[in-house]
Amino acid sequence: MTDYLRYLLKRFGQFAFVVFIGVNLAYVITHATPIDPVEQSIAAVTSFGNTSPDAIADMRSSLQELYGLKGGQVAQYAAFWGRVVRGDFGPSLSAFPTPVSSLILRAMPWTIGLLVTSTLIAWVIGNLLGGLAGYYHHNRGLKALGVIAMGLHPVPYYIIALMLLIVFGFVWPVLPISGGAAMNLQPEWSWAFVSSVIRHSTLPALSLILIGLGGWFLGTRSLVSNVITEDYVSYAEIAGVDNGRILISYVMRNALAPQLTGLAMSLGGIFNGAVITEKVFGYPGMGSLLVDAVYAGDYGLVLGVTTVSIVGVSLAVFIIDLLYPLIDPRVQVR
Amino acid sequence: MKCTRAGLMASMGLAIGLGSWQDVQAQGIPQNIPRQELLILENPEGTIKNAGWFNIWAINAGSQSNGLQQAALDTLWYIDPEKGLEGAWDNSLAAEKPAYNADFTEMRVKLRRGLFWSDGVEFSSADVKATVDIQIQHPGMRFSAVLANNVASVEAPDADTVIFKLKRPNSRFHANFTVRWGAIWILPKHVFEKVEDPLKFDFNRPVSLSAYTLHSWDADGKWYIWQRRDDWQRTSLGRYGKPGPKYLAYVDPGPPDKRVIAQLNHELDVIHDIAPEGMFTLARQSKTTRAWFKGFPYAHPDPTLAGVIFNTQHEYLNNKDVRWALALMIDVKVVAMAAYRGAATISAIAVPPTGVHPEAYHKPLEGWVKEFEIDTGRSRFKPYDPTTGKQIADMLRPSMGDAIPSDPAVIANSFGLGWWRTNLQAAGELLERAGFKRVDGQWMAPDGKPFVLKLMVEGDLRPVMTRAGSMIVQQWKQAGIDARLDVAQGTLITRRSAGDFDAFIGWSVETWGGHNDLSYFMDSWHSTFVAEPGKPQPLRNWQRWQHADLDQIIEETRKIGFDDPRAVELGRDYVKLMVREMPIIPVMAYNVFTAMDQTYWTGFPSSDDRYANPVPNWGNSRYMYVRLKPSN
Repeated sequence: MTDYLRYLLKRFGQFAFVVFIGVNLAYVITHATPIDPVEQSIAAVTSFGNTSPDAIADMRSSLQELYGLKGGQVAQYAAFWGRVVRGDFGPSLSAFPTPVSSLILRAMPWTIGLLVTSTLIAWVIGNLLGGLAGYYHHNRGLKALGVIAMGLHPVPYYIIALMLLIVFGFVWPVLPISGGAAMNLQPEWSWAFVSSVIRHSTLPALSLILIGLGGWFLGTRSLVSNVITEDYVSYAEIAGVDNGRILISYVMRNALAPQLTGLAMSLGGIFNGAVITEKVFGYPGMGSLLVDAVYAGDYGLVLGVTTVSIVGVSLAVFIIDLLYPLIDPRVQVR
Repeated sequence: MKCTRAGLMASMGLAIGLGSWQDVQAQGIPQNIPRQELLILENPEGTIKNAGWFNIWAINAGSQSNGLQQAALDTLWYIDPEKGLEGAWDNSLAAEKPAYNADFTEMRVKLRRGLFWSDGVEFSSADVKATVDIQIQHPGMRFSAVLANNVASVEAPDADTVIFKLKRPNSRFHANFTVRWGAIWILPKHVFEKVEDPLKFDFNRPVSLSAYTLHSWDADGKWYIWQRRDDWQRTSLGRYGKPGPKYLAYVDPGPPDKRVIAQLNHELDVIHDIAPEGMFTLARQSKTTRAWFKGFPYAHPDPTLAGVIFNTQHEYLNNKDVRWALALMIDVKVVAMAAYRGAATISAIAVPPTGVHPEAYHKPLEGWVKEFEIDTGRSRFKPYDPTTGKQIADMLRPSMGDAIPSDPAVIANSFGLGWWRTNLQAAGELLERAGFKRVDGQWMAPDGKPFVLKLMVEGDLRPVMTRAGSMIVQQWKQAGIDARLDVAQGTLITRRSAGDFDAFIGWSVETWGGHNDLSYFMDSWHSTFVAEPGKPQPLRNWQRWQHADLDQIIEETRKIGFDDPRAVELGRDYVKLMVREMPIIPVMAYNVFTAMDQTYWTGFPSSDDRYANPVPNWGNSRYMYVRLKPSN
């Protein structure tokens, strides 16, 4: 237990260090961007008006004051970390004065809902079929699945997304192609709203599953192909152990360990959002929030989203590190 | 066999399941609202991050064109870029035009009476006064700086009179309260006077002064639905009759492909803008879609002039010979084809070829432009080719057939009049006069190094302009310039302001469209506003160009009234100066492919019935509401 505690503390130290470095990098990169949020705001305000140049100079000064950009770099950096520790990323500059945290919290449920579901579905189906294809490598149906997976996997995501959009949105228009739920339905725990959310997420989820599935399928098939050549599998077969048991307990359990790491990384990474999915399907979420924030030079919002993402990925790796010794006896805590 | 049967059953089940959704789903239309009572329009702002924010007087905090400025807010005057319902000028909250004193230091406004906010409070001069006072008192609000700069005091001696005392003479002060795209919207005093900090007030739910009020909205910023007020007669729009649609939905329909699909599925009545190819698809596949022009070029030409904007603080681009040489290397027909697939309205002069401008500037000045001569020092020639618009139409006719007009007047209206002839010989002579040398087909700058010229474009964010820019760069390269495309996706605004470019494709000329006064953009071109290199340049003189003659034109314009006929004469002087100096190369109107589906509504504005600008994010697109009738 003491060994495990030491292991835990060491991993936690690594986790904290990665987060610190990651957030600092994000801070430096966002502040090095050539996009000036004040100029972006002025352009947005004045692009359709005839604001006089004198007034613009005053507006620039007011905005710098309002956005807290008048202080020195050190003061801004210290203020940033002060806020991060409190879980507050300050106001969004492109949606001033709304707090960044409010914008993230509004977008996060959509991102988590769509990406966790589609990642898990793709992982389960991909690994299951990949495992079967690797174990029953002579089965024609599973071979055909392998060909399909190999064919789908390299197709750029947006091609699959656009094809789904055209097929189910135009040729056979049975599924919604935009938004997270039908217009004029207020979010509530009602069948009308929940079913609408499911319908609206069908195409985005399907596009993600189709693309994700191939990777998991091919990975597991390859892992299983190696595992079945291991001595303990051969002994089990010679000993007459039931095929199903060999597949589940001997083969899949061993093959899934690295896939579990992959799953954790994928789940951790969902906080970036799925930018193309959100754009193509007009689905709400953190991806669009991040892209819009970059274009607007909204440091606060970019930092907020990237910090959540950094923490998400690091936390997922940290948890997997903690679980590994429990899942895989080959991993030593010392 | 068992597998096949199971697969078949599953497919049938899926088909039946999806099919049964179809009726109730109907994809992107609002639930529980009869489609026949609903007009669905695109909000080009996309997904609104801060969806629940309706305080338009706070800078950049929420959406503007989600229906808020079109359907719910109002101000003193409107100028339509086209002809308007009863003329381009519309006294909206004001009962009459602005009245200035002799030296333009005071503006008196008479207001309409009998107009009411949606919560039943009567609109009055107190609201106008509060709009000014509150914003001046709170620096950082959208119009604080403009008002603080101009207004010494504002008085409301009675309920229907407002007197603005100005800090200095300003014959165009009313422009701040006149909608082109937007303007200073009047805020409800009875709401804002109770607010401690108007910069942090979300104005949710908004109180409306126009014919619609907020019905519902999406917390994720994808859609906003507005409902016609029961007392729509008590709004300024009520003068023109009952607005047709009971409901308006301003939505984010997603990327251009999806907008086309949505309109083909009759789920998006008004597309704000799409790529030319999208418009051609709709024209081909939809029997119910129509655009501004019934046929080619379809698009509505905004009163915005797209062109090549030189940074005249550049060591070589400060020479008009160099600028003219670069203009003479361009074949605008090819640029129009590359950018808009030919669906462009070209302009040789620095005024957009739209609204009332062709009658005031393009046609009257065509004789002068035809006679305009360039003297390279070695030769003289007249660069204007009056047949360019016709040539573009002729180029398109073989592929577009009957969609291309043959009537010269219609061609001029749709494709523009003439443009500058490509003349590489003259361009070379001008460059040589500027000290350049041609070595092995390559132009060398006076310092002996290759003349490198970067043209900044916005990339995917503005694809049509990027295409035009790419073609211009190619033409410059073919002429021996080391021209390069400089993609500034996302950074263009900052770089444009800082003067961090050689040239870019964009616009610095925007006009009223429906009024010939050019001060809308021209006033900010005065030399006093030109920033030093590296310092932020206030809009709109992005070319950082200054000229004593221009200052004189601007200063005289400031001293005369908005409707003074002299303003047009000064405008023509400006055009001639621009032709001589070429600080920007005018190319074409910024054409907007607004597509309108007539499945549920008819009566949209068009080139045949120019009562309003159809582009749905413009404040004055509200005039559409009163002319729309349900389709049978």
